Amino acid sequence: MPKRRDILAIVLIVLPWTLLITVWHQSAIAPLLAIRKACHHLVKEIFIIPERLAVRHHRLSDDGVEGKREAGGQAQDSKEYCASDKDIVEVVRTEYVYTRPPPWSDVLPTIHIITPTYSRPVQKAELTRLANTFLHVPNLHWILVEDSQRRTPLVTRLLREMGLNYTHLNVETPRNYKLRGDTRDPRIPRGTMQRNLALRWLRETFNANSSQAGIVYFADDDNTYSLELFEEMRSTRKVSVWPVAFVGGLRYESPKVNAAGKVYGWKTVFDPHRPFAIDMAGFAINLRLILFKPQAYFKLRGVKGGYQESSLLRELVTLNDLEPKAANCTKILVWHTRTEKPVLVNEGKKGFTDPNVEI
Amino acid sequence: MAARMKLKLKTVFVLYFMVSLMGLVYALMQLGQRCDCTEHDMPKDRTISRLRGELHRFQEQIRKSDVTKQPQKLPAKPTIFVITPTYARLVQKAELTRLSQTFLHVPQLHWIVVEDSPHKTPLVSDLLVKSGLAYTHLHMPTAKDRKLQEGDPSWLKPRGVEQRNEGLRWLREDRRAQPGGDNQQGVVYFADDDNTYSLQIFEEMRSTQRVSVWPVGLVGGMKYERPVVEEGKVVRFHTGWRPSRPFPMDMAGFAVSLKLVLANPEACFDGDAPMGFLESSFLQGLVTMDELEPKADNCSKVLVWHTRTEKPKMKREEALQAQGLGSDRAVEV
Repeated sequence: MPKRRDILAIVLIVLPWTLLITVWHQSAIAPLLAIRKACHHLVKEIFIIPERLAVRHHRLSDDGVEGKREAGGQAQDSKEYCASDKDIVEVVRTEYVYTRPPPWSDVLPTIHIITPTYSRPVQKAELTRLANTFLHVPNLHWILVEDSQRRTPLVTRLLREMGLNYTHLNVETPRNYKLRGDTRDPRIPRGTMQRNLALRWLRETFNANSSQAGIVYFADDDNTYSLELFEEMRSTRKVSVWPVAFVGGLRYESPKVNAAGKVYGWKTVFDPHRPFAIDMAGFAINLRLILFKPQAYFKLRGVKGGYQESSLLRELVTLNDLEPKAANCTKILVWHTRTEKPVLVNEGKKGFTDPNVEI
Repeated sequence: MAARMKLKLKTVFVLYFMVSLMGLVYALMQLGQRCDCTEHDMPKDRTISRLRGELHRFQEQIRKSDVTKQPQKLPAKPTIFVITPTYARLVQKAELTRLSQTFLHVPQLHWIVVEDSPHKTPLVSDLLVKSGLAYTHLHMPTAKDRKLQEGDPSWLKPRGVEQRNEGLRWLREDRRAQPGGDNQQGVVYFADDDNTYSLQIFEEMRSTQRVSVWPVGLVGGMKYERPVVEEGKVVRFHTGWRPSRPFPMDMAGFAVSLKLVLANPEACFDGDAPMGFLESSFLQGLVTMDELEPKADNCSKVLVWHTRTEKPKMKREEALQAQGLGSDRAVEV
C-alpha cells in the first residue's frame, strides 16, 4: 500500500514540473521562429528583385558604355515594387560597375555548383547556355571540372569571357580500366572522379569552423534549371530534395512527403528501394555537412546503376533529415534534358570544315 | 503518529499541487505575450535589418532608373524581334525556360512566341508572364495534312512555317500602327526553341541594315555551316548539303532588318518549298547574295548552335499509365 502511494506521489510531483518546463521551452522558441519567418520572407523578396534589377542594369550600363540612353524602355513591373516604399527614410546612392552577374550579397549563402564536363561537339553550346542561366543567380560559384589531362583552352576562354565567379579544375578518368576480378562493370561512372575532385577542393579551401554559409549542388551540363530552384536550395540546412523531370523513364521522379513534411519514400519505378532513389540534380547539400564529414565521397567502383547518389548521401544524412523543397515536392523546377548527338556525316574522313574554328 | 503523518503528507501534497498548478497557469499566460528576450534576437534582428537595407537600396535603384529614363531625347537601340514557333511536347517548358533565361540578358528584345495550337495554352502563358521579358503571345495551328505525325522523321515536312508567317503578320500589323511608319529601326530574327544562342549574336545582329548572316554550329551534318566572305562580301556558302540552293543557310543563321520586312509585305515562308529551301523561299524576294552583311568577325566565329534535345524515354510512364497509375497530371512538367 505505501508503495503505490509513493508512486502516485512521485507522479503527481513530476507531472506538473515536466509540463511547466516544456511550456517554458516553447515560449522561448516561439518568438525566434517568428523572426526567422520574417527573415525568410525578406530574403525571398531580395532574390526576386535583383533578377529584374539585373535586366535593368544591363540595359542602363549598356547605354552608359555606348553613350546613348534608352527612351521609354520596358518598365513593366517596377511599379509594383515602388508603390509601397513611400516610407523610405534613407536614400543610399550606390554606383554599380557593369558586372553581368548580380552584385555579391554578404547575407546570402553561396551556391557552389559542381559541373563535370568533357569535350564533345556540343560542349561549348551546353556550357554557354548553362552560363546564361547562372548569370542570373546571385552569390553563385561555379566549379567546372573537365574530364581531360589538361585544362582545355575552349573552356578556359569561355569561363573568362562569361564573367562568372568560377573555379576551373580538371582530372582525367582512366579509360578502359580493367579491374582484376571485377568483370561486371569495370568502368567508373561518368563524372564521378570530377565530382570527387571538386568535393576535395571544397574541403581544402574552406575551413570547417568558418562561418561562410554555402550550399553544394551537382549540376550536369545538359540539364535545364529554373531560377526558382536556386532560391529554394539556398535555405538548405543539411540536405534538401525536390522532384526532377524526365528521369527513370517517367515524366518526373519525386520524393514521397508525408503530412508532417518529412520524406518517407521515393515515387519512382526504377528500384524505389534504393537508400536515396534520386537523381544527381534532385538534391543539394549544405557545405558545412560536406566539411564535417571529410570522408564522404562518391563511390568510384562497384556501384550499381542508379546507386551513385546513394553512395554519397548515405554517408551524410538519413532519410529523416531530408528537407523537401519545391512546395513539398509538388513543383518541377529542374528537367533532366539530354542533347542529341549531332550527326556529322558530311564532315567525312578528313573533315570538311576548318578545324581552327571553335564550336 | 501515523494519523498525524498522514495528515501532514496530505497537506504537503495539496500545497505542492496548488503551487505547481499556479506556476503552470502563469507559464501559459506568458505564452500569449511577447517575450522580452533581446539576447536571443540580436543576430536574427541584425540580419533582418541588413536585408531590409539591401531591399530598400534595390528598390531605390529601380525607382531611380525608372525616373532617369523619362527625359530621353536620343534614339533608342534597335529592338530585336525574336520570332519563336513552339509546340506542345514534354520538353517544351524546359526549352522555353532556358531560352527565356538567355533572352533576359539581351536589352531591347521583344519575344514573339507563336504556338502551334488552336488556342493559347496556360503553360506558355504563365511562363511568359513569369519570364520578365517583353513578349507577344500568338497562336496558329498547322493544318493536319502539313503536320508531322508520330514516328515521322523530323525532315519529312517543314515545321514552324505557319507560325513564323503569323509572327511576321502580327509584326507588320503592329509596327504599321507605330509612329515612324516604315522607317522604324529593328531587326527580325527567327529563333527555334531548341537552339543555343550566345549573347554576342544579338549584339552582332543589331546593326543589320538589310540581311545579315553568320555561321551556325552543328548543322547540315557538319560542325558548322557558314557563308564564305571575301573582301567583306559573301561570295558563296560553305555547306555540306545542297550548296546550290539560293540561300543554303539555317533559320538561325540570318536576321532581317525590320525596314525590309515592312517594305515587303508579301515576303513570307513557303510551306510547299522543297526540303531545305524554306529559308531561301523567304529571302529570295528580299535580298541578293552580294547585299548580305557578314557578321561574327567576317563569318569566322560560331555564336549560335543548332542543338536538338532528345525526346525523353517514357517507357515506364507509359507502362504505369496502362495500369492507371501514371504520374500526377496536375503537376506541370
